[in-house]
Amino acid sequence: MGIVEIRGLWYSYPNAPAPALRGLDLTVEAGEFVLLTGPSGCGKTTFCRCLNGLIPHFYNGELKGEVEVAGLSTRDHPTTELARHVGLIFQNPDNQIFALTVEKDVAFGLENLGVEKEEMLKAVDWAMSATGISDLRDRATHELSGGQKQRLAIASILAMRPKVLVLDEPTSFLDPVGAEQIFEVLNALNKEHGMTIILIEHRLDLAVRYADRVIVFAQGEIIDDGPPTEVFTAEETRLAGVGVPKIVALSNRLARRGITLEGPPLTADRFVEEIEKQLPKAGTPTPEKRAPPGLAELTGEHRGNPIIEVHDISYTYPRGVEALRGVSLTIHRGEFVAIMGENGAGKTTLVKHFNGLLKPQKGRVVVDGVDVSQVSVASLARKVGLVFQNPDDQLFSENVEEEIRFALRNFGFEREVIEKRVDWALNLLDIGRYRRSSPFILSGGERKRVALASVLAWDPEVVVLDEPTIGQDYAQKERLRHFLMQLRTQGKTTIIVTHDVEFVAECGPRIILMADGGIIADGPTERIMTDMDALKRASVSPPEITKVFSRLSRHGFPPDIIDVEEAAEVLHRRLREVTA
Amino acid sequence: MSLLEGLRFSRGTSPIHNLDPRVKFFMTVVLFAAAIMFLNLIPLLVILLVQVPLVVVGKIQREWAKTLKGGVFLAVIIFATNLLSFYFFRGRHLTSEMLEFALSLTLRFLVLITSFSIFFLTTSPDKLSLALEKARVPYEFNFAFITAIRFVPVLADEAQSIIDAQRSRGLELERGNFLARIRKYIPILLPLIINSIRRSLELAEAMESRAFGAAAKRTNLYELKMNRRDYAVLAVSALALTAALYIRFFTPPLGPVLPPFSIV
Repeated sequence: MGIVEIRGLWYSYPNAPAPALRGLDLTVEAGEFVLLTGPSGCGKTTFCRCLNGLIPHFYNGELKGEVEVAGLSTRDHPTTELARHVGLIFQNPDNQIFALTVEKDVAFGLENLGVEKEEMLKAVDWAMSATGISDLRDRATHELSGGQKQRLAIASILAMRPKVLVLDEPTSFLDPVGAEQIFEVLNALNKEHGMTIILIEHRLDLAVRYADRVIVFAQGEIIDDGPPTEVFTAEETRLAGVGVPKIVALSNRLARRGITLEGPPLTADRFVEEIEKQLPKAGTPTPEKRAPPGLAELTGEHRGNPIIEVHDISYTYPRGVEALRGVSLTIHRGEFVAIMGENGAGKTTLVKHFNGLLKPQKGRVVVDGVDVSQVSVASLARKVGLVFQNPDDQLFSENVEEEIRFALRNFGFEREVIEKRVDWALNLLDIGRYRRSSPFILSGGERKRVALASVLAWDPEVVVLDEPTIGQDYAQKERLRHFLMQLRTQGKTTIIVTHDVEFVAECGPRIILMADGGIIADGPTERIMTDMDALKRASVSPPEITKVFSRLSRHGFPPDIIDVEEAAEVLHRRLREVTA
Repeated sequence: MSLLEGLRFSRGTSPIHNLDPRVKFFMTVVLFAAAIMFLNLIPLLVILLVQVPLVVVGKIQREWAKTLKGGVFLAVIIFATNLLSFYFFRGRHLTSEMLEFALSLTLRFLVLITSFSIFFLTTSPDKLSLALEKARVPYEFNFAFITAIRFVPVLADEAQSIIDAQRSRGLELERGNFLARIRKYIPILLPLIINSIRRSLELAEAMESRAFGAAAKRTNLYELKMNRRDYAVLAVSALALTAALYIRFFTPPLGPVLPPFSIV
């Protein structure tokens, strides 16, 4: 019998029109590393709640079927008792930390269980070393970075020594470096301690290499379940709107062209090995002709006048954090720019200078010919629309329409103009059918679109999006990408702040890399994404395709390929030559 | 607000930080009581002289200085209103005694805020909660207290994000009359409240997952144990209290007594 046994599980939330889970049957064996994915709203979180008994003990509603974890039926055992057997880790690290110091938080669960002090200290030590946070022991919890907080959350669950660890999108709020550390911790727990891991993730490119098994959810059902390579080549997966990891996508494209790789590989390293097997052992590499320049390089041609000029600005927060040190840059009208770097590199601090939320302490910021220190935020915001990461930090109106009117009224538009603009923005983001709905009942992705509409409505000359892809599933990201392309063709100056490399690689903007409050590289996507030194300094890991080609460059392949289609084309041409 | 700086715990290690919170609380109460008992410059100065080394040993000079700076305005008001009321209600003339009383009252205020500073600046909320637990305050209250403190920085960040987001949508908090300005806080308060409700749900789920309330008798990672130093401080504090009481009630006054109250 498996460590998790699920038979005919149906569940509906109270007052919900449709069930969230529809007839799940699933067995997870002890020691498995399961990656669970699926579009937003497919029932992944509900499934997690079933595993540790939050459903049915914390949430009412209608539950049918059986869930057994470590031989205990979740119906008969409350969550507090199941906590010793199955640990649940949530998305937002802040909402699962209770104590003021790290050590005390790790002990919280054990204290609740009434564990004796000696045993408690042992478990706390073990949990902290397993997650690599032993040196943070006496630190205050609120001083930790997002990644450290999430590792603390894992340690706090581990201390109770569960056999199964369930993680509900634990890396959504983290940068790629933080996310990879989490995955490494999970991998070690799985391999060294035999812990069963059930990981729910959208970040498949990073997570897939650790998993033994992938399960795809759609609309409350399991539509695919098996080893990663099988699942990601299956037609069902593609139809469910799940993003396939880039390396798998590349292998799939090659397979369609008649080149099959053994595995097929899941990581860039393995992929390169497979390709090398098919390359002639001692053949002289024929230098590849570089493909014609992409859209990104062409856009450099129709650059307009400068719209944002930043001259040597520095900014230090009152608590003494030096967020920016001597940053200079110019953004031209109509440009599409991505500002990248790890959390704390100064990205958000920089863009807050663009609409005057922050005034430079040293240096000058000029927007459309006006020095930002001379004018109010409101008058700058009219030109530079800033959309923040979390839509919940701005939605407050009774309906979507009102939400969009808010800024238009603040800027003193005429009544008729306001109504026209509201209609326009609703159409632009395809949320017209929600115009009279409360923004609070909408899903996360829809709320994000409402927030975006409420800024685009006044048609600012520059649009700045802070972390637009955080917590978004594949389909939502695709929609966002199309939308950004649309803005770009309209000639709107667009700036995104992000650490989502794959997303940026697909959009192809001008990239500004930041680290430690300074700009370390600035240029078109092809150049920056293949500049391994600069990426490393900014703690940004290159896109998977680039990793492959930077390694294959010793065989004469061009190193600066980032697009999957182009990569497949180049590989196909070369391998056909070999076989011919 | 800098007056309240004196109540914010600063992490650190010092003999004062390490004192048992119950002993420290007793010590604070003794200093507090002594300051209330006397209204002459000399005894109040003596109390202050006792406090200064405690501040130095606790390495909280900087925070304490900030508190005092925040208290200056209030201290000036205390001094001025007392002096004025002495002048107007006690004979319409100023004597050096009246000046001393006004000064003493001001000094008393400074001594009181110093007592509080010493206690709160050097006692971690964790220890405070332990002391409360020992005093048989139900754990649920204790937990609520710690959670409230835990989420102060989180909420502050969130409020800042909300203010930034709404200002980016053209909200001008500083414009308009009083009523209009209050209305302008709605777009800030509503998201803050709604986010807090959402957060409380998530917290409740996380609490369940951490076995909150599982055992009838909870254990604690930290324990309060009095050591020799704690007993010594306890003894000295008790002695000081006795001495203060004796001096106040069984010896002649240490300085001038307030002249009779009269409205002429």
